[in-house]
Amino acid sequence: MKFYVCIKQVPDVNAPIQIKEGQLIQDTNRMILNAYDASAVEEALVLKEAHGGEVEVVSVGPDKVTETIRKALAMGADKAVHIQTSGDAEYDSATYATILAKFFEDKEYDVISCGKQSQDTDAGLAGSMLAEKLNLPYATNAVGLEMDSDKLVVKRQGDSGQEIIGLPSPCLVTCSNDMNDPRIPSLKGIMQSKRKPMETIELSSLGIDESELSPKTKVTGYQEKPGREPGQKFEGEPEEMAQQVAKLLDEEANVI
Amino acid sequence: MSTLLTHIAISDGKIKRSSLEVLSHCKQLAENNGHAAEAVIIDADASNYVDQVKSYGAEKIYTMEDPIFKNHMNTPLLKAFAKVMEEANPHVFAFASTESTKDILGALAANQDAAVLSDVSEFDLIDGGISAKRPVMAAKILSSTEAHDDQILVSVRSGSYDLVENETDAEVVNIDFSFDESELQATLREIIGASGDKIDLSEAETIVAAGRGAKDEEGQNLINELADVLGAGIGASRALTEAGIMDPSLQIGQTGKVVSPQLYIAIGISGAIQHVAGMANSKVIVAINKDPDAPIFEIADYGIVGDLYKVLPPFIEELKKIRN
Repeated sequence: MKFYVCIKQVPDVNAPIQIKEGQLIQDTNRMILNAYDASAVEEALVLKEAHGGEVEVVSVGPDKVTETIRKALAMGADKAVHIQTSGDAEYDSATYATILAKFFEDKEYDVISCGKQSQDTDAGLAGSMLAEKLNLPYATNAVGLEMDSDKLVVKRQGDSGQEIIGLPSPCLVTCSNDMNDPRIPSLKGIMQSKRKPMETIELSSLGIDESELSPKTKVTGYQEKPGREPGQKFEGEPEEMAQQVAKLLDEEANVI
Repeated sequence: MSTLLTHIAISDGKIKRSSLEVLSHCKQLAENNGHAAEAVIIDADASNYVDQVKSYGAEKIYTMEDPIFKNHMNTPLLKAFAKVMEEANPHVFAFASTESTKDILGALAANQDAAVLSDVSEFDLIDGGISAKRPVMAAKILSSTEAHDDQILVSVRSGSYDLVENETDAEVVNIDFSFDESELQATLREIIGASGDKIDLSEAETIVAAGRGAKDEEGQNLINELADVLGAGIGASRALTEAGIMDPSLQIGQTGKVVSPQLYIAIGISGAIQHVAGMANSKVIVAINKDPDAPIFEIADYGIVGDLYKVLPPFIEELKKIRN
């Protein structure tokens, strides 16, 4: 089984965020491996441990993303590709999918996997875009993966139930973080990751001119979401509080 | 004049309210800008739903019927949507942001080389495209985004717009669809835990949501009883779905469902940002938690600091009295 796992470096959504003049000011020291991608890496490692094979991670971004690639290598991925960009432009989902599709054009693999969305933008588009561009059967929002002879069996969370889908290889799957708890790299893993191969590829070698990538969508600004004000807080006797709040819900909020 | 096309999603034999919300909004945009509001129903029994769609203002309703649409499968759906886009040639194709939509939206955009914005909380027409607001960074921030293209796909979060009835004499156009099942590479083997008569959380008026604090049997019984009294849907935080205590389809939050009920009662939920991302748009929030510093109290309209096992029984009794 040859797994390629596409991973993205994202800002930590738990870190404090500021907005200045419509721009997002982020602490660039708080960049992490997208949690959904971490689940995709974990699941690929579990399947590799059970059935053999190789796990290779791919990430698109400026040099800084190599820190995140090392994290995936420390978790246990065998090798990595860094598709280098200047980091000057903001890419939308379609741009990432275009770059990755060029990369995969001449590659051989059984499964391409990635997170179902990135935790900063929550767009959730790049995975199925890539599948379509590569003409691969795919499943999104996977909460479980298994091998069944030559098929990848995906359990995906649908609107009302869980769908069990059989995919032939090669295929693509996007992973939910409900799938597993990604392992924390061990000290040994971290030491080993420094010696694992990481290939750097420039966009031009994929036949892409960075200045000609023109996303069809763009972010024009950011604003704080109008926050909710805390309302009334009750402390005291349970019966009394229950009575008060039930009455308020009925007479003040009018929602009973 | 351009076409604003809305996809009407069908789930468990019913039209999803969220897609009628999207149609209501598109109808208004069409009227304000001199465009046409149209709708498409893709289902094994698509024609059954035409009358209801007429009452929300679609001027033309496309139907596409085939038994293969009985269950969600992305390969035939993509083919169907591509055919609909050829036929209707929409400038904007709008969807309710369901799991089925999320499964195909990116692929459809790639297939049609169309611009796409997913999971928006509002959108408007601008010169040559659309502008939209999207919650990002675990819904703490709103991003203003624009898409410029001849064809633009957009998916809208449930609860973003009100339903507006607008009876229209619509033309109904059936689009032929055939699908050779041998084309299917991905095969649907089984569906587990289809909802049946459960209340759809993304459309529920009232939701009772349970967190780590309510994980034992007694807690679950109280949650069920409270939901019964209020006719509420039951949701859960990630802590409970991950522990296998509650069904994964009930998870509310950044990873699970995004909900916007009239009343949201969070029980034993601390209020991690990932959970809040899925429910902060509820109209009225009640929180019951024994930790007075739980972050959920920062967004609750009515916060009860107390032991849920002591608070819920009298709370349920009071609500019963009111309901009677």
